[in-house]
Amino acid sequence: MSQKQLAELVQRARARYAKIERQRRDPRYRRVFGRFVAAGLLNSNDQTVPQRGAIRLADALWAGEVEPRILELLPALLIKKPSFFEERTTLPDDLAQVVRALRRGEVPAEFRGIPGADLARWLPRLGRSGAAPSRLRCFRFSAEESRLLSRLSGELKTTEVAVLRRALRELGAAVLDGRA
Amino acid sequence: MAIFLLVLVEIAERLETFVVERNLEARKEGLLTLRPCVIQLLGQTALLEAKVPLTLAATNDVDVYADYDFAIEQEFRRLLATKGRELDSLGAEVWMPTETAYQPLFVGHCVSLLVADAESILVSKGLKAARKNRPLLTEYLARGPSARFLKLAHKYRLDLEQFL
Repeated sequence: MSQKQLAELVQRARARYAKIERQRRDPRYRRVFGRFVAAGLLNSNDQTVPQRGAIRLADALWAGEVEPRILELLPALLIKKPSFFEERTTLPDDLAQVVRALRRGEVPAEFRGIPGADLARWLPRLGRSGAAPSRLRCFRFSAEESRLLSRLSGELKTTEVAVLRRALRELGAAVLDGRA
Repeated sequence: MAIFLLVLVEIAERLETFVVERNLEARKEGLLTLRPCVIQLLGQTALLEAKVPLTLAATNDVDVYADYDFAIEQEFRRLLATKGRELDSLGAEVWMPTETAYQPLFVGHCVSLLVADAESILVSKGLKAARKNRPLLTEYLARGPSARFLKLAHKYRLDLEQFL
């Protein structure tokens, strides 16, 4: 890259960055970012005043265009900490789809430039540690299998669903380990 | 955030003590000892350590490359958690240029903590998560990119236009 090209690149970047700086001074950004910092979700080396109280979802979406990590955390927050937001009944279509997919335990599609896998990884990490939404699955058991499930549940002093989960984990470990 | 970096050194020191004590016990009992390890800090945490004059926003994740034994990883994870940080289990999958240079942050007998250079991290971020790191890269370019960054960007075909 020649000196002239470099100077032009820096000049264009400065113009773009001036806009970002203006956006970072906007009260909407400062309130949303400050709320994320106060909640311990984001950190910054910039002077940030932590903020308390619910934030507007529209402001969070706007601020997410300035700092995309806000968008990354947003869908999981809507599920795990809904009180974070003032209003959460009317979501934009793309956000509603992501939230729906996360609730089903699926990896959502990309959301405003953030890959679905990045969105999904926050769900078990927010709120109650390790907890992710469970999904209803229906199966039919024979009378004999049903009796066996009840006996195991009694023997292990746990619920029937805990028996099934344990059996599934153990089967998964036995059959699938080493094949990842 | 600067405080966190002091915390990282403190964590490395505590990890060193953990390994030394475990190995003393293991030797007494004739068991296998834990291998010395190198932990390489990547991502935003490493950028903060490199003191790059950029506005950084980071989640609580700590990305590292490391060659530690499972017991050391578990202890490292626990120590980070006591400071509200989380060891990213996918840290090992982070792509870094082969030219990445690592500076020592803490060097012990059993544990060494190194930090990746800023230019390599920025190239990695620009290539692998451009959208998420657009403001960061724009700011970096606005402040005047280093010759090394430009060389790496050229080699790895990082399209700088997307940040302008």
